[in-house]
Amino acid sequence: MILKRKQYATQPTLFLVALMLFSSIAMATERIGLVKTYQPLATAVRNGAEVKLAEGSDIFEGDTIVTDSDGAVGIIFSDGAVLTLGPSGKLIVEEFLFKPADKNVSFLSRVVKGSVAFVSGAIGRISPGSVKFITPTATLGLRGTKILIEVE
Amino acid sequence: MNLRLIWVMLSCGLLAACAGTTVVLVPDAGGKVGEVDLTTKGGTTHLDKANDSAAADKAEQAPTKAVHLSDEKIKDMFAETLAKEPIPPARLRLYFSSGTDEFNAETQSEFDKVVAAIDLRKSCDMSVIGHSDTVGDNSSNKELSLKRADKVAKALIGLGVKKDCMDMRYYGENDPAVPTADNVDEPKNRRVEVEVR
Repeated sequence: MILKRKQYATQPTLFLVALMLFSSIAMATERIGLVKTYQPLATAVRNGAEVKLAEGSDIFEGDTIVTDSDGAVGIIFSDGAVLTLGPSGKLIVEEFLFKPADKNVSFLSRVVKGSVAFVSGAIGRISPGSVKFITPTATLGLRGTKILIEVE
Repeated sequence: MNLRLIWVMLSCGLLAACAGTTVVLVPDAGGKVGEVDLTTKGGTTHLDKANDSAAADKAEQAPTKAVHLSDEKIKDMFAETLAKEPIPPARLRLYFSSGTDEFNAETQSEFDKVVAAIDLRKSCDMSVIGHSDTVGDNSSNKELSLKRADKVAKALIGLGVKKDCMDMRYYGENDPAVPTADNVDEPKNRRVEVEVR
């Protein structure tokens, strides 16, 4: 349902192109967020390989975000949610589904360790209860808007 | 780092949070306070007040009851994380006249705000989201909301915004700002929202 500007051209065909895209977008390759603030060192583990993060780096579903003892990273997701992972942190974006037209949304993250500041976005507004965090001892169900999480 | 260590030591007494998960519900940038449930195999603690906190020490045990924390305590505990928070996304609304993709007169100053929001964030990540009111049928309203979004996107490009930095969505009458019955001429629903991330 997310239509890239460059993928549409002229008015009469807009609607048709949109409908075609609607069914053909491949979620696996679509970025779900962007790194906005960071402090070295932060990395993502993606498909088993380590990727260094910097401002402007893409974030994908399934990424494991890791920060060292001096690191931190702030990410804004495509639904407008803002997630900040503090030093010595590890967080996995297990599921990010954002198809608002179908009300088909879900945002599930696993906090392995460290501290997290999170502000929910459109997913939380469209479907309160679909924003969840899993930690080693508990599950957190968020119904808007801002929480802080610490996992020791 | 030291403050955090002291906090952890204190919280062992206060919240029994030494080895587990602590959650704190805080107001967002707009002052809004939501709700959060902290659930373990032993039970659930519901938080719905600003600065309330609960901890889950072990997966098998019930979480602690809600405890109110001072702003200072929260700052000490999360200082390094809060210092790296990105500027929250800006959401701006541009309004249209009934049944058309013509901007309202006051829309020009809103465009200035969109450009300012992009500059502040050095953003290359935004959504242009078209909507309509409920006058007319659903499918023509979808088309109208797409035309409105397209018009805003083109206007932003005219103001120097790169088109690769935008995505576009449109919902017709299905996501009203003000819910109404069918066939209601509601100016607040004839809008395009620009979210600058």
